[in-house]
Amino acid sequence: MIIGSYRVERSTRASRAGFAAMLAVIVALISVPAWAGRAEMRLLIEVSYYLALAQAWNLLAGYAGLVSVGQQAFVGLGCYGFIIATAFLQIPPLVAIPLTVVAVGLIAIPTAFLAFRLRGAHFAIGTWVLAEVLRLIFTLVQAFGAGTGMSLPIHVVLDISENRVIRELILYYVSVAIGIATVLLVFLWLRSREGLALTAIRDSEAASGSVGINQQRTKLTVYLIAALIAGLVGALVVLEKLRITPDAAFSVTDWSANVIFIVIIGGIGSVEGPIVGTLVFFVLRSLLADYGAWYLITLGAIAIIVMLKAPRGVWGLIGSRYDVHLFPVQRRVRLNLD
Amino acid sequence: MATLLSVERVSKSFGAVRAVDNLSFELDQGEALGILGPNGAGKSTLFNLISGDIRPSAGLIRLRQREITHLPSYERCRLGIGRSYQIPQPFGRMTVFENVLAAASFSSGRGESACYDLCIEILGRAGLLDKCNRAADTLTLLERKRLELARALATQPTLLLLDEIAGGLTEGECHELIEVINALRGTGVSIVWIEHVVHVLLAVVDRLLVINFGKFLAEGEPHAVMANAAVQEVYMGIEAE
Repeated sequence: MIIGSYRVERSTRASRAGFAAMLAVIVALISVPAWAGRAEMRLLIEVSYYLALAQAWNLLAGYAGLVSVGQQAFVGLGCYGFIIATAFLQIPPLVAIPLTVVAVGLIAIPTAFLAFRLRGAHFAIGTWVLAEVLRLIFTLVQAFGAGTGMSLPIHVVLDISENRVIRELILYYVSVAIGIATVLLVFLWLRSREGLALTAIRDSEAASGSVGINQQRTKLTVYLIAALIAGLVGALVVLEKLRITPDAAFSVTDWSANVIFIVIIGGIGSVEGPIVGTLVFFVLRSLLADYGAWYLITLGAIAIIVMLKAPRGVWGLIGSRYDVHLFPVQRRVRLNLD
Repeated sequence: MATLLSVERVSKSFGAVRAVDNLSFELDQGEALGILGPNGAGKSTLFNLISGDIRPSAGLIRLRQREITHLPSYERCRLGIGRSYQIPQPFGRMTVFENVLAAASFSSGRGESACYDLCIEILGRAGLLDKCNRAADTLTLLERKRLELARALATQPTLLLLDEIAGGLTEGECHELIEVINALRGTGVSIVWIEHVVHVLLAVVDRLLVINFGKFLAEGEPHAVMANAAVQEVYMGIEAE
Protein backbone atom coordinates (compact mmCIF):
# COMPACT_ATOMS: atom_id res chain seq x y z
CA MET A 1 0.00 0.00 0.00
CA ILE A 2 1.31 3.40 -0.97
CA ILE A 3 1.14 5.95 1.77
CA GLY A 4 1.23 9.58 0.79
CA SER A 5 2.70 12.18 3.03
CA TYR A 6 1.03 12.72 6.36
CA ARG A 7 1.19 15.07 9.29
CA VAL A 8 0.45 14.55 12.97
CA GLU A 9 -1.42 17.50 14.44
CA ARG A 10 -1.91 18.34 18.07
CA SER A 11 -4.57 21.04 18.06
CA THR A 12 -8.08 21.42 16.69
CA ARG A 13 -10.26 24.47 16.07
CA ALA A 14 -12.14 23.79 19.32
CA SER A 15 -8.91 23.53 21.25
CA ARG A 16 -7.60 26.80 19.81
CA ALA A 17 -10.89 28.47 20.80
CA GLY A 18 -10.63 26.78 24.19
CA PHE A 19 -7.14 28.15 24.63
CA ALA A 20 -8.25 31.66 23.79
CA ALA A 21 -11.05 31.30 26.34
CA MET A 22 -8.57 30.00 28.88
CA LEU A 23 -6.31 33.01 28.37
CA ALA A 24 -9.30 35.29 28.82
CA VAL A 25 -10.13 33.55 32.11
CA ILE A 26 -6.53 33.95 33.28
CA VAL A 27 -6.55 37.65 32.45
CA ALA A 28 -9.87 38.01 34.26
CA LEU A 29 -8.46 36.23 37.32
CA ILE A 30 -5.45 38.53 37.36
CA SER A 31 -7.71 41.57 37.27
CA VAL A 32 -10.05 40.35 40.05
CA PRO A 33 -8.38 42.24 42.94
CA ALA A 34 -8.90 45.49 41.02
CA TRP A 35 -12.68 45.23 41.01
CA ALA A 36 -13.84 42.52 43.40
CA GLY A 37 -14.15 42.46 47.16
CA ARG A 38 -12.40 40.39 49.83
CA ALA A 39 -15.17 37.80 49.89
CA GLU A 40 -14.83 37.11 46.16
CA MET A 41 -11.07 36.83 46.48
CA ARG A 42 -11.40 34.38 49.35
CA LEU A 43 -13.85 32.32 47.32
CA LEU A 44 -11.48 32.22 44.35
CA ILE A 45 -8.62 31.15 46.62
CA GLU A 46 -10.73 28.22 47.76
CA VAL A 47 -11.79 27.47 44.17
CA SER A 48 -8.11 27.40 43.19
CA TYR A 49 -7.03 24.87 45.70
CA TYR A 50 -10.05 22.67 45.12
CA LEU A 51 -9.22 22.80 41.42
CA ALA A 52 -5.64 21.72 42.19
CA LEU A 53 -6.81 18.88 44.44
CA ALA A 54 -9.39 17.77 41.87
CA GLN A 55 -6.79 17.65 39.10
CA ALA A 56 -4.52 15.62 41.36
CA TRP A 57 -7.25 13.15 42.33
CA ASN A 58 -8.27 12.84 38.70
CA LEU A 59 -4.71 11.82 37.82
CA LEU A 60 -4.77 9.26 40.62
CA ALA A 61 -8.19 7.70 40.14
CA GLY A 62 -9.09 8.74 36.61
CA TYR A 63 -5.82 7.77 34.97
CA ALA A 64 -3.62 5.63 37.19
CA GLY A 65 -6.55 3.62 38.62
CA LEU A 66 -5.45 4.57 42.15
CA VAL A 67 -8.74 5.32 43.91
CA SER A 68 -7.40 7.09 46.97
CA VAL A 69 -9.61 8.20 49.85
CA GLY A 70 -6.57 9.44 51.73
CA GLN A 71 -5.34 12.61 50.02
CA GLN A 72 -6.18 14.42 53.28
CA ALA A 73 -3.06 12.72 54.69
CA PHE A 74 -0.91 14.97 52.50
CA VAL A 75 -3.08 18.06 52.89
CA GLY A 76 -2.77 17.62 56.65
CA LEU A 77 0.96 17.04 56.48
CA GLY A 78 1.22 20.20 54.38
CA CYS A 79 -0.71 22.13 57.04
CA TYR A 80 1.46 20.92 59.91
CA GLY A 81 4.64 21.04 57.85
CA PHE A 82 4.02 24.71 57.17
CA ILE A 83 3.28 25.40 60.87
CA ILE A 84 6.47 23.59 61.90
CA ALA A 85 8.57 25.45 59.34
CA THR A 86 7.24 28.90 60.14
CA ALA A 87 6.19 28.90 63.82
CA PHE A 88 8.85 26.54 65.13
CA LEU A 89 11.79 26.80 62.73
CA GLN A 90 11.26 30.51 62.01
CA ILE A 91 11.55 30.02 58.24
CA PRO A 92 9.99 32.88 56.22
CA PRO A 93 6.53 31.78 54.99
CA LEU A 94 7.18 32.11 51.26
CA VAL A 95 10.29 29.93 51.64
CA ALA A 96 8.44 27.56 53.95
CA ILE A 97 5.85 26.72 51.28
CA PRO A 98 8.27 24.98 48.87
CA LEU A 99 10.15 23.39 51.78
CA THR A 100 6.89 21.97 53.10
CA VAL A 101 6.10 20.53 49.69
CA VAL A 102 9.48 18.81 49.52
CA ALA A 103 9.03 17.40 53.03
CA VAL A 104 5.57 16.05 52.17
CA GLY A 105 7.05 14.41 49.08
CA LEU A 106 9.73 12.72 51.17
CA ILE A 107 7.12 11.37 53.58
CA ALA A 108 4.93 10.24 50.66
CA ILE A 109 7.64 7.92 49.28
CA PRO A 110 7.53 5.36 52.12
CA THR A 111 3.71 5.53 52.24
CA ALA A 112 3.69 4.63 48.56
CA PHE A 113 5.47 1.37 49.28
CA LEU A 114 2.83 0.55 51.88
CA ALA A 115 -0.15 1.63 49.79
CA PHE A 116 1.09 -0.01 46.57
CA ARG A 117 0.94 -3.41 48.18
CA LEU A 118 -2.82 -2.94 48.09
CA ARG A 119 -5.12 -2.93 45.06
CA GLY A 120 -8.55 -1.57 44.23
CA ALA A 121 -10.86 -1.25 47.23
CA HIS A 122 -8.06 -2.29 49.57
CA PHE A 123 -5.94 0.59 48.29
CA ALA A 124 -8.82 3.01 48.92
CA ILE A 125 -9.27 1.83 52.48
CA GLY A 126 -5.52 1.65 53.09
CA THR A 127 -4.98 5.26 52.10
CA TRP A 128 -7.89 6.33 54.31
CA VAL A 129 -6.50 4.40 57.28
CA LEU A 130 -3.12 6.01 56.74
CA ALA A 131 -4.69 9.48 56.85
CA GLU A 132 -6.63 8.61 60.00
CA VAL A 133 -3.49 7.34 61.69
CA LEU A 134 -1.74 10.62 60.90
CA ARG A 135 -4.72 12.61 62.20
CA LEU A 136 -4.68 10.65 65.47
CA ILE A 137 -0.92 11.12 65.84
CA PHE A 138 -1.32 14.89 65.55
CA THR A 139 -4.09 14.90 68.18
CA LEU A 140 -1.45 13.57 70.56
CA VAL A 141 1.21 16.21 69.95
CA GLN A 142 0.94 18.81 72.71
CA ALA A 143 3.30 21.20 70.97
CA PHE A 144 0.67 21.68 68.22
CA GLY A 145 -2.17 22.07 70.71
CA ALA A 146 -3.17 18.40 70.41
CA GLY A 147 -6.84 17.96 69.44
CA THR A 148 -7.75 21.64 69.79
CA GLY A 149 -5.08 22.69 67.31
CA MET A 150 -3.19 25.96 67.16
CA SER A 151 -3.20 29.34 65.46
CA LEU A 152 -0.55 30.56 63.11
CA PRO A 153 1.56 33.02 65.16
CA ILE A 154 0.88 36.59 64.10
CA HIS A 155 4.55 37.24 63.33
CA VAL A 156 4.38 34.63 60.54
CA VAL A 157 1.48 36.47 58.95
CA LEU A 158 3.15 39.83 59.37
CA ASP A 159 6.30 38.39 57.87
CA ILE A 160 4.56 38.11 54.48
CA SER A 161 3.67 41.77 54.63
CA GLU A 162 2.76 44.26 57.33
CA ASN A 163 0.05 45.53 55.05
CA ARG A 164 -3.18 43.48 55.07
CA VAL A 165 -4.15 44.39 51.51
CA ILE A 166 -0.78 43.36 50.11
CA ARG A 167 -0.89 40.18 52.15
CA GLU A 168 -4.26 39.26 50.70
CA LEU A 169 -3.04 40.07 47.22
CA ILE A 170 -0.02 37.80 47.62
CA LEU A 171 -2.14 34.96 48.95
CA TYR A 172 -4.66 35.44 46.16
CA TYR A 173 -2.09 35.42 43.38
CA VAL A 174 -0.15 32.50 44.82
CA SER A 175 -3.35 30.44 45.13
CA VAL A 176 -4.67 31.27 41.68
CA ALA A 177 -1.24 30.64 40.16
CA ILE A 178 -1.17 27.20 41.78
CA GLY A 179 -4.65 26.38 40.47
CA ILE A 180 -3.67 27.40 36.94
CA ALA A 181 -0.25 25.77 37.17
CA THR A 182 -1.81 22.46 38.20
CA VAL A 183 -4.13 22.47 35.19
CA LEU A 184 -1.20 23.34 32.95
CA LEU A 185 0.98 20.62 34.47
CA VAL A 186 -1.69 17.97 33.94
CA PHE A 187 -2.28 19.18 30.39
CA LEU A 188 1.41 19.15 29.44
CA TRP A 189 1.87 15.77 31.09
CA LEU A 190 -1.04 14.22 29.23
CA ARG A 191 0.15 15.73 25.97
CA SER A 192 3.65 14.29 26.35
CA ARG A 193 4.86 10.76 25.66
CA GLU A 194 4.41 9.95 29.36
CA GLY A 195 0.80 11.06 28.94
CA LEU A 196 0.38 8.37 26.31
CA ALA A 197 1.43 5.83 28.94
CA LEU A 198 -0.88 7.33 31.54
CA THR A 199 -3.84 7.32 29.18
CA ALA A 200 -3.12 3.76 28.10
CA ILE A 201 -3.11 2.64 31.74
CA ARG A 202 -6.44 4.42 32.22
CA ASP A 203 -7.99 2.55 29.30
CA SER A 204 -6.52 -0.93 29.80
CA GLU A 205 -3.98 -1.66 32.46
CA ALA A 206 -3.25 -5.20 31.23
CA ALA A 207 -2.70 -4.16 27.63
CA SER A 208 -0.51 -1.23 28.65
CA GLY A 209 2.01 -3.67 30.11
CA SER A 210 1.90 -5.81 26.99
CA VAL A 211 3.05 -2.87 24.86
CA GLY A 212 6.00 -2.05 27.09
CA ILE A 213 4.59 0.54 29.46
CA ASN A 214 6.01 0.39 32.99
CA GLN A 215 2.76 0.80 34.91
CA GLN A 216 4.30 0.75 38.37
CA ARG A 217 6.68 3.60 37.60
CA THR A 218 3.94 5.71 36.06
CA LYS A 219 1.61 5.07 38.99
CA LEU A 220 4.30 5.92 41.51
CA THR A 221 4.99 9.21 39.71
CA VAL A 222 1.28 10.07 39.79
CA TYR A 223 1.05 9.17 43.48
CA LEU A 224 3.99 11.41 44.36
CA ILE A 225 2.86 14.36 42.23
CA ALA A 226 -0.63 14.13 43.76
CA ALA A 227 0.93 14.12 47.24
CA LEU A 228 3.03 17.18 46.41
CA ILE A 229 -0.03 19.07 45.17
CA ALA A 230 -1.98 18.12 48.31
CA GLY A 231 0.91 19.25 50.51
CA LEU A 232 1.06 22.56 48.69
CA VAL A 233 -2.65 23.09 49.18
CA GLY A 234 -2.24 22.24 52.86
CA ALA A 235 0.34 24.99 53.33
CA LEU A 236 -1.99 27.48 51.64
CA VAL A 237 -4.96 26.42 53.74
CA VAL A 238 -3.10 27.37 56.91
CA LEU A 239 -2.17 30.75 55.49
CA GLU A 240 -5.78 31.35 54.56
CA LYS A 241 -7.49 30.03 57.71
CA LEU A 242 -4.68 31.12 60.09
CA ARG A 243 -5.65 28.25 62.37
CA ILE A 244 -5.35 24.51 62.20
CA THR A 245 -6.76 21.48 64.03
CA PRO A 246 -6.07 17.81 63.28
CA ASP A 247 -9.74 17.34 62.34
CA ALA A 248 -9.66 20.16 59.80
CA ALA A 249 -6.19 19.38 58.46
CA PHE A 250 -6.94 15.67 57.93
CA SER A 251 -10.62 16.09 57.08
CA VAL A 252 -11.88 13.24 54.90
CA THR A 253 -14.98 15.28 54.00
CA ASP A 254 -13.14 18.40 52.89
CA TRP A 255 -10.15 16.90 51.13
CA SER A 256 -11.49 13.59 49.83
CA ALA A 257 -15.31 13.51 49.68
CA ASN A 258 -15.66 17.01 48.17
CA VAL A 259 -12.81 16.42 45.76
CA ILE A 260 -14.17 13.05 44.65
CA PHE A 261 -17.57 14.69 44.16
CA ILE A 262 -15.99 17.38 41.96
CA VAL A 263 -14.17 14.90 39.75
CA ILE A 264 -17.13 12.49 39.42
CA ILE A 265 -19.59 15.28 38.60
CA GLY A 266 -17.25 17.05 36.20
CA GLY A 267 -16.03 13.96 34.40
CA ILE A 268 -13.33 11.57 35.49
CA GLY A 269 -10.40 10.86 33.17
CA SER A 270 -10.14 14.19 31.36
CA VAL A 271 -8.45 17.55 32.00
CA GLU A 272 -11.69 19.43 31.46
CA GLY A 273 -13.75 17.34 33.91
CA PRO A 274 -12.25 18.61 37.18
CA ILE A 275 -12.54 22.21 35.96
CA VAL A 276 -16.23 21.80 35.15
CA GLY A 277 -16.75 19.87 38.40
CA THR A 278 -15.13 22.60 40.50
CA LEU A 279 -17.44 25.20 38.99
CA VAL A 280 -20.52 23.00 39.54
CA PHE A 281 -19.48 22.30 43.13
CA PHE A 282 -19.05 25.95 44.08
CA VAL A 283 -22.28 26.98 42.35
CA LEU A 284 -24.19 24.26 44.20
CA ARG A 285 -22.54 25.19 47.46
CA SER A 286 -23.54 28.82 47.19
CA LEU A 287 -27.10 27.90 46.12
CA LEU A 288 -27.56 25.40 48.93
CA ALA A 289 -25.59 27.22 51.62
CA ASP A 290 -28.72 28.09 53.62
CA TYR A 291 -30.23 24.62 53.72
CA GLY A 292 -28.01 22.93 56.32
CA ALA A 293 -28.12 19.17 56.14
CA TRP A 294 -30.04 19.29 52.86
CA TYR A 295 -26.89 20.66 51.26
CA LEU A 296 -24.98 17.41 51.74
CA ILE A 297 -28.01 15.25 50.98
CA THR A 298 -28.50 17.08 47.68
CA LEU A 299 -24.81 16.80 46.78
CA GLY A 300 -24.92 13.07 47.50
CA ALA A 301 -28.08 12.58 45.45
CA ILE A 302 -26.59 14.47 42.50
CA ALA A 303 -23.41 12.41 42.70
CA ILE A 304 -25.39 9.15 42.63
CA ILE A 305 -27.55 10.26 39.71
CA VAL A 306 -24.51 11.37 37.70
CA MET A 307 -22.66 8.12 38.40
CA LEU A 308 -25.67 6.10 37.20
CA LYS A 309 -26.78 8.22 34.26
CA ALA A 310 -23.58 9.86 33.07
CA PRO A 311 -20.54 7.93 34.31
CA ARG A 312 -18.22 10.34 32.53
CA GLY A 313 -19.79 13.34 34.20
CA VAL A 314 -20.93 16.64 32.78
CA TRP A 315 -17.87 17.02 30.59
CA GLY A 316 -18.30 13.49 29.28
CA LEU A 317 -21.77 14.41 28.04
CA ILE A 318 -20.56 17.54 26.30
CA GLY A 319 -17.27 16.17 25.06
CA SER A 320 -18.63 12.98 23.52
CA ARG A 321 -21.66 14.65 21.92
CA TYR A 322 -19.70 17.38 20.20
CA ASP A 323 -16.25 15.78 20.11
CA VAL A 324 -14.80 18.89 21.72
CA HIS A 325 -11.42 18.92 23.42
CA LEU A 326 -10.54 22.22 25.02
CA PHE A 327 -7.15 20.79 25.90
CA PRO A 328 -5.68 19.17 22.81
CA VAL A 329 -3.95 16.12 24.21
CA GLN A 330 -4.84 13.93 21.25
CA ARG A 331 -2.83 13.35 18.13
CA ARG A 332 -4.67 13.67 14.84
CA VAL A 333 -3.24 12.32 11.61
CA ARG A 334 -3.81 14.24 8.37
CA LEU A 335 -3.25 11.90 5.44
CA ASN A 336 -2.35 12.39 1.79
CA LEU A 337 -1.38 16.00 1.97
CA ASP A 338 0.01 16.04 -1.56
CA MET B 1 17.67 -23.93 15.03
CA ALA B 2 18.19 -22.12 18.29
CA THR B 3 15.49 -22.32 20.93
CA LEU B 4 13.65 -19.03 21.38
CA LEU B 5 11.10 -19.85 24.05
CA SER B 6 11.03 -22.67 26.51
CA VAL B 7 8.18 -23.39 28.87
CA GLU B 8 9.31 -25.84 31.54
CA ARG B 9 6.83 -27.74 33.72
CA VAL B 10 4.64 -24.70 34.13
CA SER B 11 1.47 -24.85 36.23
CA LYS B 12 -1.11 -22.26 37.16
CA SER B 13 -3.94 -22.82 39.60
CA PHE B 14 -6.91 -20.59 40.25
CA GLY B 15 -8.17 -21.87 43.59
CA ALA B 16 -8.85 -25.57 43.09
CA VAL B 17 -8.77 -25.33 39.29
CA ARG B 18 -5.53 -26.24 37.54
CA ALA B 19 -5.87 -24.09 34.44
CA VAL B 20 -2.39 -25.06 33.24
CA ASP B 21 -1.06 -28.34 34.55
CA ASN B 22 2.64 -29.09 34.30
CA LEU B 23 3.06 -28.05 30.65
CA SER B 24 6.41 -28.06 28.87
CA PHE B 25 7.27 -27.13 25.29
CA GLU B 26 9.88 -25.32 23.27
CA LEU B 27 9.69 -22.98 20.33
CA ASP B 28 12.51 -22.57 17.85
CA GLN B 29 13.51 -19.27 16.34
CA GLY B 30 11.35 -18.63 13.28
CA GLU B 31 8.94 -21.42 14.11
CA ALA B 32 5.15 -21.09 14.06
CA LEU B 33 3.27 -23.13 16.62
CA GLY B 34 -0.52 -23.52 16.68
CA ILE B 35 -2.43 -24.23 19.87
CA LEU B 36 -5.85 -25.85 19.77
CA GLY B 37 -8.21 -26.86 22.51
CA PRO B 38 -11.78 -26.50 23.68
CA ASN B 39 -12.93 -23.44 25.60
CA GLY B 40 -11.56 -23.39 29.11
CA ALA B 41 -8.67 -25.70 28.22
CA GLY B 42 -6.12 -23.20 29.57
CA LYS B 43 -4.87 -21.74 26.29
CA SER B 44 -5.29 -18.07 27.16
CA THR B 45 -3.91 -18.71 30.65
CA LEU B 46 -0.81 -20.14 28.99
CA PHE B 47 -0.48 -16.92 26.95
CA ASN B 48 -0.91 -14.77 30.04
CA LEU B 49 1.91 -16.73 31.67
CA ILE B 50 4.22 -16.23 28.70
CA SER B 51 3.41 -12.52 28.31
CA GLY B 52 3.69 -11.87 32.05
CA ASP B 53 0.10 -10.80 32.72
CA ILE B 54 0.08 -13.48 35.43
CA ARG B 55 2.80 -15.50 37.18
CA PRO B 56 2.87 -19.31 37.27
CA SER B 57 2.28 -21.28 40.46
CA ALA B 58 5.22 -23.50 39.45
CA GLY B 59 7.69 -23.93 36.61
CA LEU B 60 10.06 -21.81 34.52
CA ILE B 61 9.76 -19.76 31.36
CA ARG B 62 12.85 -18.82 29.34
CA LEU B 63 13.33 -16.53 26.39
CA ARG B 64 16.63 -17.04 24.55
CA GLN B 65 17.93 -19.00 27.58
CA ARG B 66 17.17 -16.08 29.88
CA GLU B 67 14.71 -16.81 32.67
CA ILE B 68 11.73 -14.47 32.49
CA THR B 69 9.31 -16.33 34.81
CA HIS B 70 8.91 -13.40 37.17
CA LEU B 71 9.58 -10.43 34.90
CA PRO B 72 6.73 -7.90 34.63
CA SER B 73 4.91 -7.81 31.30
CA TYR B 74 6.41 -4.51 30.13
CA GLU B 75 9.94 -5.92 30.38
CA ARG B 76 8.94 -9.02 28.44
CA CYS B 77 7.49 -6.77 25.76
CA ARG B 78 10.80 -4.92 25.53
CA LEU B 79 12.57 -8.28 25.23
CA GLY B 80 10.48 -9.00 22.15
CA ILE B 81 7.25 -10.68 23.23
CA GLY B 82 4.22 -9.12 21.54
CA ARG B 83 0.67 -10.29 22.05
CA SER B 84 -2.95 -9.82 21.10
CA TYR B 85 -5.83 -10.41 23.50
CA GLN B 86 -8.67 -12.81 22.77
CA ILE B 87 -11.14 -10.24 24.06
CA PRO B 88 -9.74 -7.07 22.49
CA GLN B 89 -8.27 -4.65 25.00
CA PRO B 90 -8.03 -1.43 23.02
CA PHE B 91 -7.04 1.81 24.73
CA GLY B 92 -10.66 2.84 24.17
CA ARG B 93 -10.57 6.60 24.52
CA MET B 94 -7.31 6.98 22.63
CA THR B 95 -7.33 7.18 18.86
CA VAL B 96 -6.44 4.14 16.77
CA PHE B 97 -3.19 5.89 15.82
CA GLU B 98 -2.33 6.58 19.45
CA ASN B 99 -2.97 2.93 20.35
CA VAL B 100 -0.33 1.84 17.87
CA LEU B 101 1.94 4.77 18.71
CA ALA B 102 2.02 3.89 22.42
CA ALA B 103 3.03 0.34 21.50
CA ALA B 104 5.73 1.42 19.05
CA SER B 105 7.20 4.01 21.36
CA PHE B 106 7.22 2.24 24.72
CA SER B 107 8.30 -1.15 23.41
CA SER B 108 11.36 0.39 21.76
CA GLY B 109 12.08 3.30 24.08
CA ARG B 110 12.11 5.62 21.08
CA GLY B 111 10.53 9.08 21.02
CA GLU B 112 7.07 9.54 19.58
CA SER B 113 7.90 11.19 16.30
CA ALA B 114 10.56 8.56 15.55
CA CYS B 115 7.72 6.01 15.51
CA TYR B 116 5.24 7.84 13.28
CA ASP B 117 6.39 6.19 10.03
CA LEU B 118 6.22 2.70 11.50
CA CYS B 119 2.73 3.34 12.89
CA ILE B 120 1.36 4.68 9.62
CA GLU B 121 2.84 1.72 7.77
CA ILE B 122 1.37 -0.83 10.19
CA LEU B 123 -2.05 0.84 10.17
CA GLY B 124 -1.92 0.71 6.40
CA ARG B 125 -1.17 -3.00 6.44
CA ALA B 126 -3.93 -3.62 9.00
CA GLY B 127 -6.44 -1.70 6.89
CA LEU B 128 -7.08 0.79 9.67
CA LEU B 129 -5.50 3.89 8.15
CA ASP B 130 -8.84 5.48 7.25
CA LYS B 131 -9.93 5.07 10.88
CA CYS B 132 -6.71 6.27 12.48
CA ASN B 133 -8.31 9.31 14.16
CA ARG B 134 -11.27 7.39 15.54
CA ALA B 135 -11.48 6.62 19.26
CA ALA B 136 -10.68 2.92 19.54
CA ASP B 137 -13.89 2.16 21.44
CA THR B 138 -15.95 3.22 18.42
CA LEU B 139 -14.49 0.39 16.32
CA THR B 140 -16.48 -2.73 15.44
CA LEU B 141 -15.38 -6.03 16.96
CA LEU B 142 -13.63 -7.02 13.76
CA GLU B 143 -11.77 -3.71 13.61
CA ARG B 144 -10.79 -4.10 17.24
CA LYS B 145 -9.27 -7.46 16.42
CA ARG B 146 -7.28 -5.84 13.65
CA LEU B 147 -6.15 -3.19 16.08
CA GLU B 148 -5.01 -5.94 18.46
CA LEU B 149 -2.81 -7.31 15.71
CA ALA B 150 -1.60 -3.87 14.63
CA ARG B 151 -0.68 -2.92 18.17
CA ALA B 152 1.17 -6.19 18.71
CA LEU B 153 3.06 -5.67 15.44
CA ALA B 154 3.97 -2.13 16.48
CA THR B 155 5.99 -3.58 19.35
CA GLN B 156 8.15 -5.21 16.63
CA PRO B 157 8.15 -8.58 18.37
CA THR B 158 10.50 -11.49 17.82
CA LEU B 159 7.85 -13.71 19.40
CA LEU B 160 4.25 -12.94 18.54
CA LEU B 161 1.42 -14.46 20.61
CA LEU B 162 -1.88 -14.40 18.73
CA ASP B 163 -5.05 -15.22 20.63
CA GLU B 164 -8.01 -16.01 18.35
CA ILE B 165 -7.73 -13.25 15.82
CA ALA B 166 -9.39 -15.10 12.92
CA GLY B 167 -12.79 -15.75 14.51
CA GLY B 168 -15.57 -13.99 12.59
CA LEU B 169 -13.49 -13.19 9.53
CA THR B 170 -14.89 -13.81 6.04
CA GLU B 171 -13.10 -16.23 3.72
CA GLY B 172 -11.37 -13.34 1.93
CA GLU B 173 -10.27 -11.73 5.16
CA CYS B 174 -8.90 -15.06 6.35
CA HIS B 175 -6.72 -15.21 3.25
CA GLU B 176 -5.47 -11.69 3.85
CA LEU B 177 -4.66 -12.58 7.46
CA ILE B 178 -2.77 -15.71 6.37
CA GLU B 179 -0.74 -13.59 3.96
CA VAL B 180 0.07 -11.01 6.65
CA ILE B 181 1.18 -13.68 9.10
CA ASN B 182 3.20 -15.61 6.54
CA ALA B 183 4.92 -12.38 5.47
CA LEU B 184 5.82 -11.79 9.11
CA ARG B 185 7.26 -15.26 9.32
CA GLY B 186 9.39 -14.35 6.34
CA THR B 187 11.00 -11.61 8.43
CA GLY B 188 12.01 -14.14 11.09
CA VAL B 189 9.24 -13.56 13.62
CA SER B 190 8.29 -16.62 15.66
CA ILE B 191 4.61 -17.19 16.29
CA VAL B 192 2.43 -18.97 18.79
CA TRP B 193 -1.16 -18.89 17.64
CA ILE B 194 -4.29 -19.96 19.51
CA GLU B 195 -7.11 -20.38 17.04
CA HIS B 196 -10.42 -22.18 16.63
CA VAL B 197 -10.52 -21.59 12.87
CA VAL B 198 -8.49 -24.67 12.11
CA HIS B 199 -7.93 -24.24 8.37
CA VAL B 200 -6.39 -20.80 8.92
CA LEU B 201 -4.09 -22.25 11.53
CA LEU B 202 -3.05 -25.12 9.28
CA ALA B 203 -2.15 -22.69 6.50
CA VAL B 204 0.52 -21.12 8.70
CA VAL B 205 1.87 -23.30 11.48
CA ASP B 206 4.72 -25.85 11.43
CA ARG B 207 3.57 -27.68 14.51
CA LEU B 208 0.37 -28.11 16.44
CA LEU B 209 -0.26 -28.54 20.13
CA VAL B 210 -3.64 -29.58 21.51
CA ILE B 211 -4.52 -28.80 25.11
CA ASN B 212 -7.39 -30.08 27.20
CA PHE B 213 -7.93 -29.49 30.93
CA GLY B 214 -4.57 -27.72 31.13
CA LYS B 215 -2.63 -30.72 29.79
CA PHE B 216 -1.29 -31.83 26.42
CA LEU B 217 -3.61 -34.00 24.43
CA ALA B 218 -1.45 -34.24 21.34
CA GLU B 219 1.53 -32.55 19.77
CA GLY B 220 3.34 -32.72 16.45
CA GLU B 221 2.97 -32.24 12.70
CA PRO B 222 -0.36 -30.44 12.15
CA HIS B 223 -2.15 -32.90 9.88
CA ALA B 224 -1.02 -35.89 11.91
CA VAL B 225 -2.30 -34.20 15.07
CA MET B 226 -5.64 -33.45 13.49
CA ALA B 227 -5.94 -37.12 12.48
CA ASN B 228 -5.32 -38.22 16.07
CA ALA B 229 -8.33 -40.07 17.48
CA ALA B 230 -8.25 -38.29 20.87
CA VAL B 231 -8.20 -34.91 19.17
CA GLN B 232 -11.08 -35.85 16.90
CA GLU B 233 -13.06 -36.90 19.92
CA VAL B 234 -12.46 -33.65 21.78
CA TYR B 235 -13.46 -31.69 18.74
CA MET B 236 -16.43 -34.00 18.21
CA GLY B 237 -16.12 -34.43 14.52
CA ILE B 238 -14.82 -30.95 13.70
CA GLU B 239 -12.22 -31.77 11.10
CA ALA B 240 -9.52 -29.85 9.35
CA GLU B 241 -10.82 -28.56 6.04
